[in-house]
Amino acid sequence: MIQLNDIVVKFGDFEALHHISVHVKHGEFFTFLGPSGCGKTTTLRTITGFIQPVSGTVTMQGRDITHVPIEKRNIGIVFQSYALFPTMTARDNIAFGLKIRKLSRSEIESRVDEIARKVDLSEEKLNKAVSQLSGGQQQRVAIARALVTSPTIICMDEPLSNLDAKLRVNLRNELKRMQREFGITTIYVTHDQEEALTLSDRIAVFNKGFIEQIGTPNEVYNHSASEFVANFIGDINPLGEEIVQGLHLNPGNHHFIRLERIRVNRSNHDGTLTLPGVIEMQEYYGLYIKYYIHTAGQTLKVIEKNDGINIYEPGEQVTLDIHPSDVMSY
Amino acid sequence: MQGTVRQGSRFSLSTVWKVFGGVLFIYLFLGFMVIPTLNTLTSIFTTTDSQGKADPWAVIRFFLAGNMPSFVWNSLKLAICLVITVNIVGISIVLLTEYFDIKGAKILRLGYMTTMIYSGVALVTGYQFLYDSNGMLTTWLAQLFPGMNKQWFSGFSAVLFTMTFACTSNHALFLRNAIRGIDYNTVEAARNLGAKPFKVLMRIVMPTLLPTLFSLTVMTFITGLCAMSAPTLLGYNSINPEIVRLAGSSSADESFPQARAALLSVILAFFTIILLTVLNHYERKGHYLSVSKTKAKLVKQKIQNPVMNVLAHIYAYVLFIIYMTPVAMIVLFSFQNWPAIRGKALNVSDWTLINYFGQQDYAWVNSRGKTKVRTGQISGVFSNTDTVGGIRLSFILSAIAAALACVIVVVAVNYIFKHRNKKRSRIIEACLLFPWLLPTILICYSYRIYFNNEVWYVFGQNMYFRENVRFLIIMAYTVVKLPFALRMIKAAFYAIDDELEDAAKNLGASPLVTFLRVKLPIVLPSVLAVFALNFNALFTEYDMSATFHSSYGKSYAMVIQSMCSEEGRDGMNVNASGRRCASTVFIMLVSGLILYLVYGVGARDLGERLASRKKWKQRFARLLGKREKKKDIAHKAA
Repeated sequence: MIQLNDIVVKFGDFEALHHISVHVKHGEFFTFLGPSGCGKTTTLRTITGFIQPVSGTVTMQGRDITHVPIEKRNIGIVFQSYALFPTMTARDNIAFGLKIRKLSRSEIESRVDEIARKVDLSEEKLNKAVSQLSGGQQQRVAIARALVTSPTIICMDEPLSNLDAKLRVNLRNELKRMQREFGITTIYVTHDQEEALTLSDRIAVFNKGFIEQIGTPNEVYNHSASEFVANFIGDINPLGEEIVQGLHLNPGNHHFIRLERIRVNRSNHDGTLTLPGVIEMQEYYGLYIKYYIHTAGQTLKVIEKNDGINIYEPGEQVTLDIHPSDVMSY
Repeated sequence: MQGTVRQGSRFSLSTVWKVFGGVLFIYLFLGFMVIPTLNTLTSIFTTTDSQGKADPWAVIRFFLAGNMPSFVWNSLKLAICLVITVNIVGISIVLLTEYFDIKGAKILRLGYMTTMIYSGVALVTGYQFLYDSNGMLTTWLAQLFPGMNKQWFSGFSAVLFTMTFACTSNHALFLRNAIRGIDYNTVEAARNLGAKPFKVLMRIVMPTLLPTLFSLTVMTFITGLCAMSAPTLLGYNSINPEIVRLAGSSSADESFPQARAALLSVILAFFTIILLTVLNHYERKGHYLSVSKTKAKLVKQKIQNPVMNVLAHIYAYVLFIIYMTPVAMIVLFSFQNWPAIRGKALNVSDWTLINYFGQQDYAWVNSRGKTKVRTGQISGVFSNTDTVGGIRLSFILSAIAAALACVIVVVAVNYIFKHRNKKRSRIIEACLLFPWLLPTILICYSYRIYFNNEVWYVFGQNMYFRENVRFLIIMAYTVVKLPFALRMIKAAFYAIDDELEDAAKNLGASPLVTFLRVKLPIVLPSVLAVFALNFNALFTEYDMSATFHSSYGKSYAMVIQSMCSEEGRDGMNVNASGRRCASTVFIMLVSGLILYLVYGVGARDLGERLASRKKWKQRFARLLGKREKKKDIAHKAA
C-alpha cells in the first residue's frame, strides 16, 4: 500500500531520519510510536509531503510519490490540534477540500451529509462554529474533513494528545470503530504506548531517527527487539547480578523482566527461581496493586491483581517466583 | 530542499510577486522613510552664511547662543511634570475603581474613561470652552471674583492640567488590566502574615504594577515631549509648535528656520530613541507573572479608617467632576443656540439642533442703526461647507491611510511568519518599526521640506503643491501608524496554528487561497480593530494636520481649531462655538462607535456571532408571529 524506502531527512546538518524503511499494508492501522523528537512526526510529514527527504522514496500503491505535491497525494490528515478552521462552521470545514476541488454545490452537500452521518454528526452540530463543539465532536469533524475527499490513506498525528484521560479512552474506541467501518489504511502517530497497543494492527517503534522494531502489539510488548523497546513499552525491572546468577543467565547481557511476570506468594513452577522478599512500599491502583519488594540486593516492582484477599502490607515477608522464559535479555 | 516545506508548482508566479513586493517595499522604505529623514538630518549641516559660504556649525552655534534651548527645556519640563501628574491621577483612578471599595465605582470608571472617546484636539478645545478667558467656568468665576485674571487658563499650567487628564487613558486601560491580573490569594497571604492594608498595597500590589507603570511612564514622557495640540492651542513654547512655526517661516524673516526646525526634530528623535531603547531593554527583562494556577479574583478593599474613607470618596468624586464637567457641558451646549453659548447660560426651555444640522441667517444692527443680514451664517456641523469639507477630507485620508497601513503590515507579517527565522524577515520587521523611533513631527517636517521640491521618484512632482499634499498626508499617516499596526497584527498572526496552513495545503488550497480563506479570516478581527483604532486616531489627528496645513489639506482637526478663533467676527460664523461643541459630540459618537465595534462586536468569535444571529432570528420570528396573531385576531373580529 504505502512504502518508505531508505528515507533520510535532514534539517540543516541534523539528520532527523536515518534510512527509514516501512511497509504499511492495505486497510491496516499502523502506528508510529516513540518518545518526543524520535522522528515519528517527521516520517509522517514525509509521507504527507510536507517534508522532502534527502534520499529514499515514498511509494503509494506502487507509484512513486516522493516528488508529488502535497495536494496531489490524496492523503487525508487529522492533525494533533485538529487544525479546524475557526472562522468556519463544522460544515464549511468538512466542505473546504471539496470546494477547492470545485465540485458542484449539490455534490458537496450530499458528500458532506453522507460523511457527517457516518461519523455521527447531526445537522445541528454541522451548522455550529467549531469552537462550540466538544472535543469529541471536533475530532469527528477533523476525521470527516480528512475522509470526505476519499483519500487513499489517512494519517493521524497524535489526535488524542490534547484531551483529558477519560475522553481519550472513549475517543480511542470511537476511532478504532470508524477505521474498521471505513476500512481505510491508517497511519497513526503517538507517544502513548497504551494508545498504540490498543489501536494498532502493527506498530513501528521509533528511537532517535531509527526504527527499533516493527511488529504487532503482542510482538513489541512480549518480544521486544531491544532494550529501548522493552523499556519504552510497558514497565520493566532490570535484574541484578544475584538474580541473573540464580537464573543461570549470560552475565554479559542486560536482563529485564516485566512487572506482571513476577509472581508473589504463588506456587513454584519447574525451573523458577524463588526468592524471599520484603514489601517496601505499596501503591494502590484499584484494579491492581503495585508493590516495591526488596529482594536479592535490589528492589523489584511487581504488579498483582487486586483480588481483595491477598493484599500485602509494607514490612510483610513474601516469596517471589521468576521464570527464566519471562526474562528479556539484550 | 532538505526537510523543508514544498512550494508546489507556482514557483515562477510567486517569484514575480515576491520581486514586485520587495521592490515596492524598498521603494516605500527608502523613498518615504529614509531619504526625507536623512535630508532633514543633513540640512542641519548644510547651511550657508550671508556670503553663500558653507557653514556646517552655524545652526548649532545659533542653538547654543539663542533662545532655542528654552524650547527643549520647556518640553522636558512638561514631560517631567506630566509623568508625575499623570501617574498620580492615573494610579488614583485605577486604585479608586479597581482596588478600593468606593461607592459608585462603576459610574466613576465610566467618567474616568471618557478620555478614550474624548481626546486630542476635541479635548483641548473642550477644556478651553470651560476654562479659557471666555470659558464658562472663567465667566462664572469672574462674576464671583471680578478682579480675577481671566487669562488664568493658559501657558504651562493649563497645558499640564489638560494633558494630565488627557493622558490617563492608557492607565485606565493597561494599569487596570494589570491590577485585575493580581492573584487575590497573595493579598490574603500578606494579610494573614500580619501586613496592614497600606503595607499590602505598597509591598504586594504596587510592585506587581511596576513594569506596567514603567512602560506607561516612558510613554507619558514621550507624549509630553512631543506634545502639540495642547501647547499650540493653550500657548506654550515647546518643541513641536516651534517646529511647525519654523517650517512655515522663511529665511527672509529669520535665520535658517528650516535648519533650526530640523535640529529641534533631531533632538526630539534623540530623546525618543533613548527612551524607547530603555523601555525595550526593560521589557526584555520580562514582567512579574503570577505563578498561581488557581488565581483568585481581586476583592475590593474597604478603607477601614472612616476619615480616610470619606477623603478617598471626596477625591474620587472631585476627579469625576473634573473628567465629566467638560463632557457634560459640551454635550448640553451643543444643543443650545448661540446667545446661550455666548452668555454661558444654559437655557433649559430652548433646545436646538442648529449646531448639528441646518442654516439660519444672522441679523444685526450696525452702528448706523441699519439692520444687516448675513445669510446662512448660523450653520450646523453637517451644513457648514468648511466643516463638512474637513470631515470629508479627514474621513477619506484617514480611511485610506489606515487601510494602507493594515494592507502593508498584513502582507509583510504573512511573509515574516512564513520565513520566520530568516534574516530578511527581521530586516522587514525592523523597517516597519523604524517610524517608531522617529517623532511624528520629524517625519512630517521631513516630508514637508523634502517633498516641497520636485522629487524624481514621485514622478518629478512637488508633493506639497496644491492637491498633492493630500497624498503626502496619506503617506505620513500610513508611515506613522505602521509600528502600531505591526505590533497588533503580528500578535494576531501568532494565534494562527501552523497546522491550519498545513491542513489547507493538504486539502488542496493554494498559498493565496490559504491566505485569503484560512489565515485572513482568523486575523481579520484584529486587522479591522487596528484599522478602526488607527482611523479613530487619524480622524481628529492634529499634529500632522498642523504640519501639512494648507487650503488643500485642511483636516477636521484644523477646522475645529479654527472654530476657536473665528467666532462672531463681523457677524461671521456666529455659532462657531456651538459647532465646536457639536463637533466634539460627533467625534465622541464616532470614537464610541468604533470602540464598541472593536471591543464589543469585533471581539466575538464565530460561535458567539452565530448565537447572536440565532437570537435575533428568534426575536424576529417572535415579532412576526405576534403580528400574524394580531392580524388573525383583527381578521376574525372583522
